[in-house]
Amino acid sequence: MKQFLSLHPPPCLPKGTLIARGCMRDAAERSCVHGDAQEAAAKSRYSLCLLGTEEEGGFPMAPEHPCLLSLSFHQSSALGSLSFLFVPRPGSRLLWAPCASASAPSLGRTSLSSAVTRCIHALLLRPSLQDVSKRLSLPMDIRLPPEFLQKLQMESPEFPKPLSRMSRRASLSDIGFGKLETYVKLDKLGEGTYATVFKGRSKLTENLVALKEIRLEHEEGAPCTAIREVSLLKNLKHANIVTLHDIIHTERSLTLVFEYLDNDLKQYLDNCGNLMSVHNVKIFMFQLLRGLAYCHGRKILHRDLKPQNLLINERGELKLADFGLARAKSVPTKTYSNEVVTLWYRPPDVLLGSTEYSTPIDMWGVGCIHYEMVTGRPMFPGSTVKEELHLIFRLLGTPTEETWPGITSNEEFKAYNFTQYRAQPLINHAPRLDSEGIDLLMNLLLYRAKGRISAEAALRHPYFKSLGERVHLLPDNASIFSLKEIQLQKDPGYRGSAFQQSGRTGEKHGPLPRGAMGALGLISVGPT
Amino acid sequence: METCLPAVPSGRPAAGGRGARGRAVPPARAARHGDGGERAARMHPATAGTPRLPLPLPAAPGTELQAFRDYGESWYRSRKGLESRFQPREPLARQPQVTAEARCKLVSWLIPVHRHFGLSFEALCLTVNTLDRFLATTPVAADCFQLLGVTALLIASKQVEVHPPSVKELLALCCGAFSVQQLRNLECIVLLRLGFDLSAPTISFFLEHFSQVRLQAQGADAAEAADARILAGGIAELSLADYAFIGYTPSLLAAGSLGLADRLLGHRCPLDLRISGYPEELLRDCMEQLQLLVSLNGQSLPLLLPPEVVQKCPWLRGGR
Repeated sequence: MKQFLSLHPPPCLPKGTLIARGCMRDAAERSCVHGDAQEAAAKSRYSLCLLGTEEEGGFPMAPEHPCLLSLSFHQSSALGSLSFLFVPRPGSRLLWAPCASASAPSLGRTSLSSAVTRCIHALLLRPSLQDVSKRLSLPMDIRLPPEFLQKLQMESPEFPKPLSRMSRRASLSDIGFGKLETYVKLDKLGEGTYATVFKGRSKLTENLVALKEIRLEHEEGAPCTAIREVSLLKNLKHANIVTLHDIIHTERSLTLVFEYLDNDLKQYLDNCGNLMSVHNVKIFMFQLLRGLAYCHGRKILHRDLKPQNLLINERGELKLADFGLARAKSVPTKTYSNEVVTLWYRPPDVLLGSTEYSTPIDMWGVGCIHYEMVTGRPMFPGSTVKEELHLIFRLLGTPTEETWPGITSNEEFKAYNFTQYRAQPLINHAPRLDSEGIDLLMNLLLYRAKGRISAEAALRHPYFKSLGERVHLLPDNASIFSLKEIQLQKDPGYRGSAFQQSGRTGEKHGPLPRGAMGALGLISVGPT
Repeated sequence: METCLPAVPSGRPAAGGRGARGRAVPPARAARHGDGGERAARMHPATAGTPRLPLPLPAAPGTELQAFRDYGESWYRSRKGLESRFQPREPLARQPQVTAEARCKLVSWLIPVHRHFGLSFEALCLTVNTLDRFLATTPVAADCFQLLGVTALLIASKQVEVHPPSVKELLALCCGAFSVQQLRNLECIVLLRLGFDLSAPTISFFLEHFSQVRLQAQGADAAEAADARILAGGIAELSLADYAFIGYTPSLLAAGSLGLADRLLGHRCPLDLRISGYPEELLRDCMEQLQLLVSLNGQSLPLLLPPEVVQKCPWLRGGR
């Protein structure tokens, strides 16, 4: 009964519950009664719960209730008593008749196991009423009548209420405590409204980890972002998705333990002077699409793709992070730290107020990131919705009925009254990209959302042909670098390890590595 | 003592009876499907400022349709693969106080509550799944069963809704029987007991999937598909409240509900239930069970549906 969850000791048992209590003389009798009870229950519509012995506090309810059968055995016993509880089996429509106690044989002091058995048999194996007549029927007032709320409130007392408002604080002692000791906290990486991120080390594995501490003391309880992120990540196991190692709960906070990656794509670009090898761009793109195809295949959208959310380790493995904002039916507007989400990677249909979100919402962002890796600069760095749209249209051409069916009747679009730009050849802006790369980019940056290439199809695009066939046969959890033909090249703009080292220790980016911070959706505490 | 008992209406009439409290229901058409949210918001000053429109009925807009062509099969496989992991296992078997009737009552209460807040059927399915799986792990006292219900609703809304109801609004519906602290504590306990495993496959997902597959087929009747989808949604909603369906997987219930809906609507090209992959006898059993459920709730079911669909169903229109 230790596990019993209650706001206070419950006053009584529901109808349909049968309690048998008994003191057994010796172990043999005890096991005999137990066996009999089990056998009787197996034949009946009840299941048997062994509630334990009197020493443990017994059954906390009032056994005098007329609906309950209480069998009392007062023989002295070193073994203590046994309490049984019979509850109707799931699906059983049998209702316990309130006359149960009246029909219970009077056992008195001389009861033995046979008496218990007799009693159980008499009560449990009584023929039930016709099943169908007991079939649960929904109440007729399932529809909301006019006085909906008043009514709900008036009738709500039908649900049992705690007798006192004093809440017994639920014990959480058996959950998660102590596990935090497994991790040593190192530097603080960032802090936001909901969470603080620390770099840490696991004592078990000696690996570095990112510890994301989420405060639970909010008016609305656990933050949506935490609930979404954890429940989604638990189902996502893929080499290109950040791994959630552990969840630690303490009384006031929830700590998510992630694998630690030193860099994010933004920092990687900084480190190589915004001049990446085009071969490496292809490998990063493939990994990004691989992770995304896996998510999309599970009906999970990321919705906030940006270089800061793509973590990169020393091996060059790229992993999608920050799923906290994913899956809601809206596009996120605020991050954990309450920052406004960047508009740079957001597709024009969403900027114009479309609420039809599906997988193409992420594909636009993939295009923008592709361009940014190749050129070293963000594609559409707008700071307002209007500026963002303006930048898009200036490069890709102002949409027409031909490039975007239905756009001319879009009220928002009409209201902006954009200049009529003609589309510019992308090759002029991304001259390092080969023709296949340009073709992929153009298929990602389509105005018509449903026309955009899917992540799954993009992996098969001729642009990736040079990576070979084996990249398509990898199991989900295998890194692309497990294939010996896949290797990163030296980035032309990379200024050597000395610089990278100094960059990491903060001469360039402040005292803390930015990677984990950005990726976990937090603002930096250090100067950037 | 009697008043302390959980609210289990003991002598509820079976087929087509009156309400739980033996009360007849006025034929208030206005509060039917679709405007429950606004209406209730008008009734209650606390929620008047934030009218929540109910989500639109399932539609297959272009983008979604394309995404379905790209990934529909994969979505189905991944959700189907998760079913057994998320199937509640005899949630009431070890409950000393919570009975099948109490559960029915709670879920029947959660149905109008979720509509009141304009929440999706997906959210309702997740609520009931969270509730059942939690019941399978932890004995719950009858007096905090309702609190568990709203907690599950809150968690489900946080997963899939843009605007989850506020803690205050939820507690108001329990007429102040529980405190904010109690709800937050219970939320924490539920999340931890379930280890944050919350993204269960839902009947709502499978209804959508089978309906989409049906539309992709040659010579599909879009109108029939839409009507069947809506009626099946109502039937599936009823099934959530009945403990008899606890052992049925969401995909089976979705297929059974669609099959029954097609039958009740007398459709000429019903959904081919073989796409669900279930053996015929299992489907037949499920449909029979659902049929029984529908006949026992012949008067409540129309209230869950838009009037146009009720009109098309001779059996429901008869008001049996």
